Amino acid sequence: MSAPLLEVRNLTKFFPVRAGVFLRKVGDVHAVDDVSFTLHRGETLGLVGESGCGKSTVGKTILNLLRPTAGQVLFEGRDLGTLSHAEWRAVRRDIQIVFQDPMESLNARHTVGQILEEPFVIHKLGTPEERNIWARDLLERVGLPRSAVSRFPHEFSGGQRQRIGIARAIALKPKLIICDEAVSALDVSVRAQIVNLLLELQHDMELALLFIAHDLSVVRHVSNEVAVMYLGRIVERASSNEIYDQPCHPYTRALVSAIPLPDPGRERDRIVLEGDVPSPIEPPSGCRFHTRCAHAERVCAEKTPEWETVTPWQQVACHRWRELRGEIQD
Amino acid sequence: MAEPVLRVENLCCGFHTEDGYIRVVDGVSFECEAGKTLGLVGESGCGKTVSALAVMGLLPQPAGVVEEGRILFRGEDLAATSHDTMRVVRGQQIGMIFQEPMTALNPVHRVGKQLFEALRLYESGLDKDDLTARAVELLEQVGIPDPVRRLREYPHQLSGGMRQRVMIAMALAGQPEILIADEPTTALDVTVQAQILDLLRELQQERGMTMIFITHDLGVVAEFCDEVLVMYAGRIAERAPVGRLFNAPHHPYTRGLIESLPRMDTPSRTPLNTIEGVVPKLTEMPAGCRFSNRCGYADERCGREVPALESCTERSAVREPRDANGGGDTEAVEPRAARHEVACHHWQRLAA
Ligand SMILES: Nc1ncnc2c1ncn2[C@@H]1O[C@H](COP(=O)(O)OP(=O)(O)OP(=O)(O)O)[C@@H](O)[C@H]1O
Ligand code: SF4
Ligand SMILES: [Mg+2]
Repeated sequence: MSAPLLEVRNLTKFFPVRAGVFLRKVGDVHAVDDVSFTLHRGETLGLVGESGCGKSTVGKTILNLLRPTAGQVLFEGRDLGTLSHAEWRAVRRDIQIVFQDPMESLNARHTVGQILEEPFVIHKLGTPEERNIWARDLLERVGLPRSAVSRFPHEFSGGQRQRIGIARAIALKPKLIICDEAVSALDVSVRAQIVNLLLELQHDMELALLFIAHDLSVVRHVSNEVAVMYLGRIVERASSNEIYDQPCHPYTRALVSAIPLPDPGRERDRIVLEGDVPSPIEPPSGCRFHTRCAHAERVCAEKTPEWETVTPWQQVACHRWRELRGEIQD
Repeated sequence: MAEPVLRVENLCCGFHTEDGYIRVVDGVSFECEAGKTLGLVGESGCGKTVSALAVMGLLPQPAGVVEEGRILFRGEDLAATSHDTMRVVRGQQIGMIFQEPMTALNPVHRVGKQLFEALRLYESGLDKDDLTARAVELLEQVGIPDPVRRLREYPHQLSGGMRQRVMIAMALAGQPEILIADEPTTALDVTVQAQILDLLRELQQERGMTMIFITHDLGVVAEFCDEVLVMYAGRIAERAPVGRLFNAPHHPYTRGLIESLPRMDTPSRTPLNTIEGVVPKLTEMPAGCRFSNRCGYADERCGREVPALESCTERSAVREPRDANGGGDTEAVEPRAARHEVACHHWQRLAA
């Protein structure tokens, strides 16, 4: 198999928590703790988990918007933490991001044309005339009229603004796009349009997508592989079919069982978790899920579970997955 | 059959804006059957919240107007009652969980103070101890651990799920017969959503409450509602028992919505079905069917003539899917459960 486009190794990001008059450091938010994964050209890795589990922090760290506390991000084999400023600028063309709310990332006082020409201006590409043509081409590519260049973001609906955000992200023909809840705020019918657009662009441009979202049904649909995060750690990784058909981690199982399905009358075994997610400032010892897990035993509180292989397409970090799988099949 | 608890007839409401008056809810009618849950589903801006606020007499003033229509609660027309009467109805007969928990909970007051205020609205002469006891009881009912401590906390100190539980407690303070829940779980994580839906289900069973459940999530509708109204651009497109809605949608919009969902049992990374285009602005709506500019079935008549909401049950045999797999389940299907109406000139083509 070819070398991965993106490789994240033991990525860790702590945010200091300060308190008191002298703002002394009193602890750390363990936002991301020892996260590893790989992503190949043209493929999609879905990163799913609930609010505060650290998935957006992973995205920001890859983009160098945050410095990792420990661990490495390798892009085309190069450690991004060791690049010079100039080298980073070149790499940055290849990694783009699309956010949940395009209004926050699009300059409201700029026309759509200016917004789309900006990446070319920053990287000193083309003449003003060429840039204008490229901006129009981009609009057409994402299904908006070429004439939209002269209008402003607020004149567009949410779905149309997300198309503008995507147009900007693909302007420099990147190799990787990080989609951080990119379709989460959209209505069902619009969401389907944008999902299709992403799949189509991915196919045509051989784009890799890191698709970060809380909605497992959408994540599963766009991804080749899905990683499930809980309290800063990945607890399970699997192909998009396995993750739903045979989840092995008790947290993944709860997550899957909680998704409301548009299928009335279908009987389901729902696992309703008790309580709230514990604080990431002093996360539980051992397996972070042990405080809410119905199957936890002593070892779960004492030892961090190692990665274990279920099938070549599925890995899980749970002490008891083997026994539990037996229980379910009975 | 029993008289419905709430009957809304031809509700039309709108707002005075800088661009003049705009009608946003156009001829909405529905009934709520006692003890059942009616789902109100549709995409952003289709008028779900405005319809609910109109029922509550809470449209923002002075911009909001109920132009027309009757809102009959146990036979009494709420649209025609005085503000004072409405204040009594609100909370004691119809409670509401609002879409934005942070706007409905005042961030500068402790949870306790806000619950006390809600309780005082419905019962006078309660002293501090009574109020505390009642508030603690309410918080216990909605599954909040350590309620005495919670009373002293501010809304921002609570997790999203806990805040939503407090909102539910406030809505229950007046022991309403009907509970309107406007997107009560939309802002929550899916595992927390499962907790809150469980709680609502329990409370409904204990109290025999009637519910109107507003959401844009068809999965939640499928799991939570008995009957569903699908709204599009201020009008009702379809109304059906939940099983029929998903198994035999008769309106092109409903069908388009259901088909555009990513499903867990279909292969991933295939194109989803879509409804092309976007909802037109309220000021630029097509004259006839409001869906006509996006509809694959539309013809010339659709652009001209507003389709009426009509029954589509006579022709096709009614079969409740909930019972279909049950085999021996012989529970008689109530006539109301079979009621299926659709506002489309060409629904027969979808039924075929
Ligand atoms: N205070 C207001 N003034 C003017 N227009 C309003 C006001 N409140 C709502 N509207 C308009 O009324 C229409 C219906 O809005 P409503 O809030 O009922 O939609 P909704 O179905 O609840 O949407 P969502 O799913 O986003 O909550 C929209 O076009 C909205 O812009
Ligand atoms: S009335 Fe015409 S345009 Fe409207 S939904 Fe039916 S077929 Fe489509
Ligand atoms: Mg609303």
